[in-house]
Amino acid sequence: MGEGFIILKGLRKEFGELVAVEDLELEVEEGEFLCFLGPSGCGKTTTLRMVAGLEIPTAGDIFLRGERINDLPPQRRNVGFVFQNYALFWHMTVHDNLAFGLMVRRAPRSEIEREVGEMARWLELEDLLETKASRLDLSAMQRVALGRTLVTRPQVLLLDEPLNNFRPALREIMRGELKRLQKQLGSTMIYVTHDQEEAMTMGDRILVMSAGRKVQLATPRELYRQPNSLFVAGFIGRPPMNLLEVTYAREGDRAFLRKGELAWDVTLLRHAIEGGLRGEKAVLGVRPEHVLPVEEAERRGLKDTVVTGKVDLVQPLARKKIVDLFIDDTLIKMVVSSDFPVAKDDQVEVVFHPQETHLFDKETERAIYNGLS
Amino acid sequence: MTLIGQASRWLGALAICLVILLPVVWVLSISFKPPQEWLAYPPTIIPVEPTTSNYIVLFQPGNPVGGVAAMVSSAEPVTQALINSLIIAPIATAASVLIGFFAAYAVSRYRVGGTFMPFFTLTTRMFPPVAFAVPLLVYYRMLGLIDTQLGLILMYTAFTVAFSLWMMKGFIDGVPRHIEEAAVLDGASPWRVLFTITLPLVRGGLAATALFVFILNWTEFLFALVFTSREAITIPVQVSHYVGAVGRFYGPQAALGIVASIPVVVAGYLIQRHLVTGFTFGLVRE
Repeated sequence: MGEGFIILKGLRKEFGELVAVEDLELEVEEGEFLCFLGPSGCGKTTTLRMVAGLEIPTAGDIFLRGERINDLPPQRRNVGFVFQNYALFWHMTVHDNLAFGLMVRRAPRSEIEREVGEMARWLELEDLLETKASRLDLSAMQRVALGRTLVTRPQVLLLDEPLNNFRPALREIMRGELKRLQKQLGSTMIYVTHDQEEAMTMGDRILVMSAGRKVQLATPRELYRQPNSLFVAGFIGRPPMNLLEVTYAREGDRAFLRKGELAWDVTLLRHAIEGGLRGEKAVLGVRPEHVLPVEEAERRGLKDTVVTGKVDLVQPLARKKIVDLFIDDTLIKMVVSSDFPVAKDDQVEVVFHPQETHLFDKETERAIYNGLS
Repeated sequence: MTLIGQASRWLGALAICLVILLPVVWVLSISFKPPQEWLAYPPTIIPVEPTTSNYIVLFQPGNPVGGVAAMVSSAEPVTQALINSLIIAPIATAASVLIGFFAAYAVSRYRVGGTFMPFFTLTTRMFPPVAFAVPLLVYYRMLGLIDTQLGLILMYTAFTVAFSLWMMKGFIDGVPRHIEEAAVLDGASPWRVLFTITLPLVRGGLAATALFVFILNWTEFLFALVFTSREAITIPVQVSHYVGAVGRFYGPQAALGIVASIPVVVAGYLIQRHLVTGFTFGLVRE
C-alpha cells in the first residue's frame, strides 16, 4: 500500500435508506493531527467509528499501516477512542478505569500499577484515584477518558468531540493540552469536531465533510485562503465570509462582475472566470477582515470599486469591532479596529481587498478563483 | 410554603399510608386475637384478650385455638410448607432473573428475535393462569412433576421470566452503548464486557427485578394449589388449610400471613440499598 498510515478507500456506510458516508478517500500520515470538520450528521463520527471498528463499512476498505483491517475486530485494532460523553465505567474507581485496558491485556500487576500511577501523575488525577468515576467533575472525567485510552499506547487515537461539554475558557486550555500531548506522544490523531475554530487551531490538516462526502482536505491556512467551494467558504472563519450574488458580463474586451449599480473590473481574470463559470451567475466572496474602510485601503495603496453601505449594527469586541453594513438590501459584515469611528446609521465607504476576494459558481458552488485579483 | 399547606400535605401523606397499611395492621391485630374476637362487632384494633395461640397452633396443630375445644385444626404443621416455600421461591427467582438478564441483553444489544419474540413472551401473562392449569396438569402427570418442588420451580421460572426479561431490558437499555464500546476498544471480549461492565451497571435493576419476581413467586396460590397436594405445598396453600368444621380459622390464617411476610420484608430491607443505587442510575450522563 501507499505511504499513508491510515488509508480509506471508497468508504461507504449506509444505515437502511440513509447514506451516512459516501465514497470517502483519505490518507492520514503517521504522527498527523487530522480534524474531521462538518455540521452534525455529516458522517464524520460514522467515519471515525468505522476506523475504530465499531461500525462495519457497507463498501470500501480501511488500511492501517498497509494492512487491510476491515475484518479485524475492534479489540485487535489497537486503536484508542475517546467518546463524546467519555463513556467512563461509572461503577469503577478512577484507578480501575485507568487500569482496565491493561488488565484485559493481562499485563503483570506491577506494570499496571506503574503505568496507572504514571498516567495519573501526568493527568493530575493522583488525588482522585480512589474516587468513583460517577463522582468526578467534567474536566476530571475528560482526563480519565483520555488516560484510560492512552494507557494502552494505541497506534491511533480517535477523538469524538471530546471538548463539547466544557465551558469556553476550559475548552481553550484543553485544546492546547491535547495538541501538546499529541506532539509529545507522536501519535496519529483523528479529531472530530463541528467547531471550525477548534479544527483551525488544532489540526495539521482538516477534512471538511458535508452530507457524507469529502468537501476539501487541506491545511487550516489553505482552507481559509483557498476554500474550494461555497460550503467551505461559509463554514470556515468567524464571522463568516460575506457572499454577494453577482453577474458576470463582457463589455468589449473588458469584463465585469455586476451587482445592481456596482461593478468590479475583472478583466485580468476573465480567462479564469470563463474557464470555470457555467452560466453568468456567480457569488463574490470577501471575508469581513478584508472589507476595508476606504481611507485604510488608500493608505495601503489598494484600489478597487468603492462601495457605500449604511451601518446597521456595531458589535465592539476587545480589539476589534464587527460592523454590519447594508449595501442596498444585502447585509455584509466587516471587522475593523476598535478605534475606527463608526456608529449606527453612518454611511461608510469600503473597498473589498482586491487580492483577497473569492469567486464561486452559483450553480455548482465550486470556487473559480481565490484571492488572485 | 405556609404552615397550613405543609400540614395538609402531611395529612394527605398520612391518609395514603393508612389506606395502604390498614389491611396489614388488621391482619397483625387478628393474629393476636382469640376466636371470639375474630368477627366481634364493633371491631377493635388492639385485641382485648391478646393470645399467642394462633401462632402456636401453626406448629402444633393439635392444640385447640384459644383454648376453645371445638377449634382444633386438621392442618399439617406449617414447617413443611415453610421449607417448601423457602426452597421454591428463591430458586425460581434466581433462575428467572438469570435467564431474564441474558435474554434481555440479547434482545437489547443484538436485537435477538426482532420485535415479535420479546412481545410474544408476554403472552404467558395475557391468559388467565387457570387457562394453563389443565393442559399443564396433563403434562405434569406424564412427567411425574406433580407435587414436587422441581415442578413448581420450573413453573414459576417459566411464568415470571417474561417479567424479568422486560424489566431487565429496561435497565440494560439504560446503559449507554458507548460504555460497552469503550471496553471493547480497550480489548475486552464480549463476555468480559457483559460481566465486568454491563452486569455491575445494572446491579440495582437486577435487585429490583429479583425482589419483584420473588414476591410473585412467594405469594403464588393458584398453581401451587392445583399442582401440589402434600409434599410440595407452599405457604399460600397452607393458609387455605385452616378451615375447621365450625368455619374458617381467621386467627391462624392471619398468624401465618404475618409469618410468611417476614422473609419478604427482610429481603426487601436487604435489597433496599441496591434499589437506591439502581434508581439513581440516571446519574449516568448520556
